[in-house]
Amino acid sequence: MLGEARLDPTWDRASILALFDPATGTLDRRVLSDEALYRLELERIFARGWNFMCHDSQIPNPGDYFINYIGEDQMICVRGDDGAVNVLLNTCRHRGNALCRAEQGHARSFVCSYHGWHYALNGELIGVPGQKTYYRGDLDRSRLGLARAAQADSYLGFHFATMAPDAPPLHDFLGEVGRTGLAMVCASGEVEVVDGVQKNVIDCNWKIAVDNLFDWYHVMYSHASAGHSGILDLAGILHPNNQMVMLGEYGHAISGPGVPKEAQAKIDLMSDEERSNAPGPAGLSRLRPKSATELMGPNGVRSLGHPNIFPNLWITLNGMQMCLRLPRGPSKTELWWFTLLPKNAPPQFRQRALRAAIHMFGPAGLLEQDDGENWSQSTRSSRGFSSRRLGQALSMGLGHDEVTEEANGERYIDTCVNEHGQRWLYRSWTEWMAARDWAELEASHSPAPTGRV
Amino acid sequence: MLARLDVAERVQLQFDVEQFLYEEAALLDARRYRDWLGLLADDIHYWMPIRRTVTLADIEREFTKQGDMAFFDDDREMLEMRVRKLEAGSAWSEDPPSRSRHFVTNVRITGVEGDEITVDVCFHLYRTRLETEVDSWIGRRTDVLRRHGASFRLARRHLFLDQTLIRSTNMSTIF
Repeated sequence: MLGEARLDPTWDRASILALFDPATGTLDRRVLSDEALYRLELERIFARGWNFMCHDSQIPNPGDYFINYIGEDQMICVRGDDGAVNVLLNTCRHRGNALCRAEQGHARSFVCSYHGWHYALNGELIGVPGQKTYYRGDLDRSRLGLARAAQADSYLGFHFATMAPDAPPLHDFLGEVGRTGLAMVCASGEVEVVDGVQKNVIDCNWKIAVDNLFDWYHVMYSHASAGHSGILDLAGILHPNNQMVMLGEYGHAISGPGVPKEAQAKIDLMSDEERSNAPGPAGLSRLRPKSATELMGPNGVRSLGHPNIFPNLWITLNGMQMCLRLPRGPSKTELWWFTLLPKNAPPQFRQRALRAAIHMFGPAGLLEQDDGENWSQSTRSSRGFSSRRLGQALSMGLGHDEVTEEANGERYIDTCVNEHGQRWLYRSWTEWMAARDWAELEASHSPAPTGRV
Repeated sequence: MLARLDVAERVQLQFDVEQFLYEEAALLDARRYRDWLGLLADDIHYWMPIRRTVTLADIEREFTKQGDMAFFDDDREMLEMRVRKLEAGSAWSEDPPSRSRHFVTNVRITGVEGDEITVDVCFHLYRTRLETEVDSWIGRRTDVLRRHGASFRLARRHLFLDQTLIRSTNMSTIF
């Protein structure tokens, strides 16, 4: 037992902050394997933050529901009779049984399969068998409704929820960078989720799946065989010397290829008709319409990279897909792929888009196939006693770049392939983990970087 | 047309179809992907929809429909890309290569129309790789075999997996 105690240290503020050194980009590998840190993440990252629940189009009618998670807590996202989206903990207030066993569906109300407790779509407890006879009237139903997320809100049709009553409003939590990231999905107009969320499990820590989305360094090597297959021209999408990074408050970031300023200046002069006939700048993408500049900002609109809404929502394929990385223990992660297309997309466009979505990402995707094993083997080596004592080296580009600040508040880095996004993720993560509550996080977290990075 | 076949013809057809399916499975287990491509019709549709855990009331939405999202929705060109990837020498998810075993069973010929035979099959694809990785994919599939000389070409494979959440790092194997 003495040995156990030493192996499972108490993670106080100082020891958490020491897990990542922003001055060198060194990450302590226990971040990817430690059980106690994982349990703390469920509280301080997931329950505290705003988590993506579903898109408006997935639950169009009252009674439509979609099950998602805040950490390991199962949430029912259901449209109520009043049209509002309720986010409820999927656990009966009597004995904790799960009310919804399906992943999605339609319900007029929720009835527990254990003893028949009966809840309305807004979570209110409306029926208890035996309330008069067995409870003899001695049960206050008004105190036993389903637990609701402390706050639920949406931006551009994306529903989010947090268990923290003191979390800042969703709009402020997202900030410029988070909002720009979500806007990438809607840059060409209103979207809807294509039916079918791909879900699979990888034996890796959720954060390595997240930090990989900022990593445009691995593309040419990890995914060489996808390039060889002919499905895409890797060099054509990579643009290693035209990368743009945006680092946002609370850990949001966007990183990847960016249209150079001079090229964007020419696009800005084009009409929407000219844009729709021009080839996209990076193989996959179409030129965004003029209205996208308002949504994404004059520099945000240059990004063809990967936004991550902290902690775990990745946006990719220029906004056509989103992937949630859901924690299932320190070395297990579920990947959920959502595909979003413009409403009423012409059949040919839809066909081409789905061909890309199905064959790039998801467990059978030609790109994605090669990622999982990199992540699971890196996670595995963060468990061994000796290998976990070595740090991970995330130093690429450190100290070599400058954040440009525009008068409108936009901040960005124009650079080459780099590891700024990964460093910002882990730096933010240590700050979230070290703070006991939102007040402490607000008082102690780093502002979005300026100057030299 | 199936009903018009006499017993001897049905036994012969059952035998020919099963032998074709076993040979095809053996090619995949032996990693002879190029030879496997040779068994495919040019207009093959190779499709695995997404399955969801739904209630009986929503059961018609258990599988995604054609034209929506799927795990596989491949034509011949896509399957050739998958094989080119496997041959690239840098398909890290298959190098070291997986060990796979393709089982086919409960082979039921459900239709014969012209030169096309529809076959309903239960499959079990077992894959193990590295030291500890084990995947077991079980499901039902509908194949359409088209007569080609003395043998067949695979013209359709629609795979209905029994898992909803795929309990695997990837599906880098051909089903």
